[in-house]
Order: sequence, then C-alpha cells, then structure tokens
Amino acid sequence: MNDFSELEKELRKLRPSQPSPVLFERVGEALENCRAGASPARQARLPYNWWSLGFGLAAAAVLILFGTVTIERRHEAQQTVAQTSAATETRPAPLRREPSDSRSKFIPAGGTNVVYNARDEGLHFGDGSERPVRRVRYHTQQTWRWRNPETGASLRVSYPSEEIVLIPVSGQ
Amino acid sequence: MEPIASHENWRNCFSEVAPGLLLFVRQWVQSAADAEDIVQDAFVKFWRRNHDISNRGLLYAAVRSLALDFIRRDARRARREATALAEAEPVIERQFEVDDDTQSALAAAVRSLPCDQREVLVLKIWNDLTFSEIAGALGISQNTAASRYRYALTNLRKTLQPQ
Repeated sequence: MNDFSELEKELRKLRPSQPSPVLFERVGEALENCRAGASPARQARLPYNWWSLGFGLAAAAVLILFGTVTIERRHEAQQTVAQTSAATETRPAPLRREPSDSRSKFIPAGGTNVVYNARDEGLHFGDGSERPVRRVRYHTQQTWRWRNPETGASLRVSYPSEEIVLIPVSGQ
Repeated sequence: MEPIASHENWRNCFSEVAPGLLLFVRQWVQSAADAEDIVQDAFVKFWRRNHDISNRGLLYAAVRSLALDFIRRDARRARREATALAEAEPVIERQFEVDDDTQSALAAAVRSLPCDQREVLVLKIWNDLTFSEIAGALGISQNTAASRYRYALTNLRKTLQPQ
C-alpha cells in the first residue's frame, strides 16, 4: 500500500459535497416524530416480548407441575414395589395392610359407563323358566377415577365390559 | 459504543457521517436530492431501531440497500434520465468540493472507475471504514474488498498519469 500513499493523500484532500441544511431539518423532524410516536418499532416489539415471556413462564410452570406429579407417582410406585418385595421376603402372608400415609390415599372421584353397542338377541327361555325372556347384550366401556387430594394426582382405570340383561316378557 | 437511539445530540453524529453517506449513495443515484432522501430514510431507520452507532458496516449496508431499492423502483425514470444524459450535455451534480484543476481531474478519474471499485474506494477514503466493515456493508469478503481497493488505486494512477 505504500506505493499508493501519495495518491491516497491526494484523494483524502478531496472533500465530499456537504448535504443541504434542509436535510438536517428533515432528519430532525423525522426523529422528533419518532419520539412523539414513542418509537413505534420499539413499542410494537415490547408487548410481543412480554407475551413471549408470559407464555414461557406459564409453560415452564406447567412442565414443572407435571414433572413433580410424575416424579411423585414414580416414587409412590417404587415404594409400593419395595414394600411388596420386602413383604414377600419377611412376611410371607401379611394379614393386615400397613397403614399408608395420607399422601398415598386416593378417593373415588367418579365413574362412567358408556354403552357403545346394544344388541337385542330375541326371546329365550331360561333354564326351568316357563316364561320367555328377552335377552339384550350391552357392550360398554367402564371408567373409574380416583384422586389424591393431597398431591392432586389422579388415577384412572378403564376397561371394556359386556353385560347381558334378561327382560321378562309378559303375554297378553 | 454509545447506542445511537440514546444519542440526544444526533446532529453531531449525523454531521460526521452525512457527507460520506451522501457520497456513497451518489455512486448509484445521480440526483443529490434523491440521495439525501435515501440517507435520511436510512439514518432515521437506523436510529429508530436502536442500533449501535459504532456498527458502521450495518449503517452503510442499510444505505446501500435503500439506494438499490430506489434504483429498482425508479428504473423507468433512470432509463429516461440516462437517455436524456446521453443525448444532451451531461449536467453532473458535483460529488466533491474541488479547489483546483488537479482536484477536478482527480474527481473525474474517481467517477470513471467501475462501480464495484468506486464504492470500496468511497467507503475507505471518505468514510474511513476498515476492510472488515466494508466487507460487511457490501456483502463481500475482506480480501475482495482489499483487492478492489488496490485495483481502484491502480486504475486511478493510470488515468492520472501524463500521456
């Protein structure tokens, strides 16, 4: 670059044309407008960031809650397994249950019985019965729920069932 | 490293960079008024977005982007101007304040450089950007920026050498 130092010096002596004074006024006005509008770009970004933060915190809280419940349930399950194993080793036939602490108590919270199929199988005579009965077969899905009020954990058991109902038929 | 948005005395800041920015824009835009519009837009946007004043590469990249957008938008007018300039005696608005014939010849030699060399020269000489900043502003490598600068100086020397 030393070869060009003289040329660079000459170039630097050249002064670019100055902007018009009007430009300074226009820029000043535009900046004032920005301030008066409280910098719309930044205003628009601020609520977005707060919303993100809020959603993030909410999601984190749900995850922590879920994680806590899961860990407690695992812990309880492990305790049950450990108790069962210990019982098998030391007490071959426990006659009474160990008193469980309140944290492991589940109380019934409800149940549903959903009939998803009902079939009328017609009239039948039961064993030794003189009157015919109408036999109806129900296919249902039964669900029972328990809830631990201490920990908020819930337990749900769901299974399919089949039910046969015999309806006596009276002749006219 | 003062953020430009908190720079209350924007006039000092703008008066420092405005001549160089205008010269940079006028490498693509003939009209000084159009160039001033572009510089105003770029500077105000830069300020509003709270960019760091020391991040000059970003400022020049924004100016260049706006200038190129302007050229695309105004292509029809540019063609009309180019035709008019080709037919009539070209009235070129001055890019430099010249004191004598030597400086006038030097300014003419700069104008005759290819655009890619001229923009690097303008950023280096009259805006004091480093090759790293030039590379960032133009989206090229530092080596390319340095070699374009060397080519520009070589070409200027050839043009200015007495026949």
